[in-house]
Amino acid sequence: MEPEILHTSGGLLFEEVSLEGGEGGRTERPSSSPRGPYEYVLMGVSVLFAIICIGFVVTIILEAVPAFKQQGSYLFTGTTWQQGGGSTPSQYGGLSMIVGTFQVAVVAMVAAVVIGMGTALSIVFFLPLRLRNLVATLVELLAAVPSVVYGIFGYLVLAPWVLTTLGPFLSGLPGGTAIFGSVQTGTSMLLASVVVAVMVLPTFVAIAREVLSAVPHELSEASLSLGATQWQTLSRTVIPTARIGLFGAAALALGRAIGETVAVALVAGQVNQISWKSLEPGTTLASWIANNFGEATGDQVNALFALGVILMAISLATSLFSRWLVARQRRAAAVV
Amino acid sequence: MTDLQTEPREAELHSVRAHLRERSAATRARRQLTSKVMVVLCWIAILCAAVPLLMLLFELIDKGWPYVSSWAFYSQLPQQPSITQPNNVGGASNAILGTVAVVAYAVVMAVPVGVVVGVFLAESDSKAANVIRVITQTMVGAPSILMGLFAFYIIVKQLNLGYSALAGAFALAVLMLPVLATATEIAVRGVPPTYREAGLALGAKPSTTSLRIVLPAAVSGIVTGSILAISRAVGETAPVLLVIGGAYSMNWRPTDPVSMIPVQIYQDASSAYPAQQNQVWGLALLLVAVVFVLSLFARIWAGRKQKERR
Repeated sequence: MEPEILHTSGGLLFEEVSLEGGEGGRTERPSSSPRGPYEYVLMGVSVLFAIICIGFVVTIILEAVPAFKQQGSYLFTGTTWQQGGGSTPSQYGGLSMIVGTFQVAVVAMVAAVVIGMGTALSIVFFLPLRLRNLVATLVELLAAVPSVVYGIFGYLVLAPWVLTTLGPFLSGLPGGTAIFGSVQTGTSMLLASVVVAVMVLPTFVAIAREVLSAVPHELSEASLSLGATQWQTLSRTVIPTARIGLFGAAALALGRAIGETVAVALVAGQVNQISWKSLEPGTTLASWIANNFGEATGDQVNALFALGVILMAISLATSLFSRWLVARQRRAAAVV
Repeated sequence: MTDLQTEPREAELHSVRAHLRERSAATRARRQLTSKVMVVLCWIAILCAAVPLLMLLFELIDKGWPYVSSWAFYSQLPQQPSITQPNNVGGASNAILGTVAVVAYAVVMAVPVGVVVGVFLAESDSKAANVIRVITQTMVGAPSILMGLFAFYIIVKQLNLGYSALAGAFALAVLMLPVLATATEIAVRGVPPTYREAGLALGAKPSTTSLRIVLPAAVSGIVTGSILAISRAVGETAPVLLVIGGAYSMNWRPTDPVSMIPVQIYQDASSAYPAQQNQVWGLALLLVAVVFVLSLFARIWAGRKQKERR
């Protein structure tokens, strides 16, 4: 199965990840079997489901069309977000949100993958056997913790700490203000990336652990017996064998980071600006929608739907791209 | 050949061997050092991961427990604190009732459809099944706030039902559907093909075979998948935030605006009153406890059924 399915169903489905991602037992069925009411019910409900899904995409796009017509390319390049009144026209620019989405998602994914790889390797290969199952269960439970909980942890615990301790420290480093900017409220793009990284970490680790422990012991034993060190065994035998599953886990982390809404809405600061300095506040597509939808009226609703369309396009593009990469890797693995 | 020719050669070989031995010792030392450094880095990584996550659990229990352990938290309506009474925050009974109601409506809408789609995906090899499978996989990865926009357009705007529990349930149902379909497909495919063959060989119709033999064998997987889908839906904030409206009374009817725990957490976190801000830890602990219990239950259930089958 595709790795994308994994996060949503938590621990149970992790069992389905095999190294090669097998298709499961598909049976040959007699093709001439007559179609009874049972088959028609299955077919009918499935078509209804497909219609709902297509309707999902179509309605969001339809609601966004007026905004695309009104704003044109300004939606992608503008940085002002203001509802017009009287003779002043509305201006809805989404550039800060688009850039912010990528900033948070990429930083969070890289951090989660680097720390998550180390964590997963430690759990599978270094932790004492008795602790292993306990930690694995804990990680899978943490993967189920709702994102809003990570959000309040960031907002109520980490933001004050960034404001009083981390922020002044980073700005105080030589050249710190030039790189990190100066801390304003604690809520910032840096904090958003950290919170999202912490949030996707358990998901990544849970899948990576599953994938790594599925690598046959014979492979690592053979490598060790040839005189390879522990790290050489891990980096040249275990990780390459598990790479397809690991890649899927990373793609999943990226997908969640792109779509994360409430946690980012709480900790990113929600200021409509492109902030290259990470201690300064910014915003992302999903969190901007959540933050402004309540008060939105008139053409602003359409503009928020337009941001939704952009978000949908980004998330679809990354998911298709990662699926393509996984398929390519799988083909390469099949040849070998 | 004479000794004169071999002797210098052996000396040469000797020196080459010594050189190689030296170099291999050097590489071995380097390899082992690299290995040790990387292993230490892995340990540092697990520390980096554990510190914030354990801190989160600690804060959650430490600050949330006083609320979760008091009856008033479950029985009282929330109060609006004021400057004269900053600690008058009340309980969360409305949010708890609203969460149960919305999730229940979502389950009623999503589970039957999701299970049927999953069975279809597992049993049909047609082109339609492949298309629907691709749609399902794509939907699973869609950002959840988009479901909120969808529900807003369909329920709030087009059907004109207003901000309501039904709109929230619709958003959650759309979110759960692909998850349920995928879990069901995996569960049905996990049934050994011999079961189906045996049923067909005995002369049962394909539909009877599916309903009487294959589905009962897959039911534990379907239940587990459903529980996990529910546990995900319970904690989702973004999709319901846009459409449930919010209420300060015990609303639960499908057309009522309701309040829900995740939304309450999100909104009260930035409250100006410290007492109200502090109460979100209670709500969060309750939410996390529910999610933990659901996923542990699903896990134990799945493990037990697996043992039974063996």
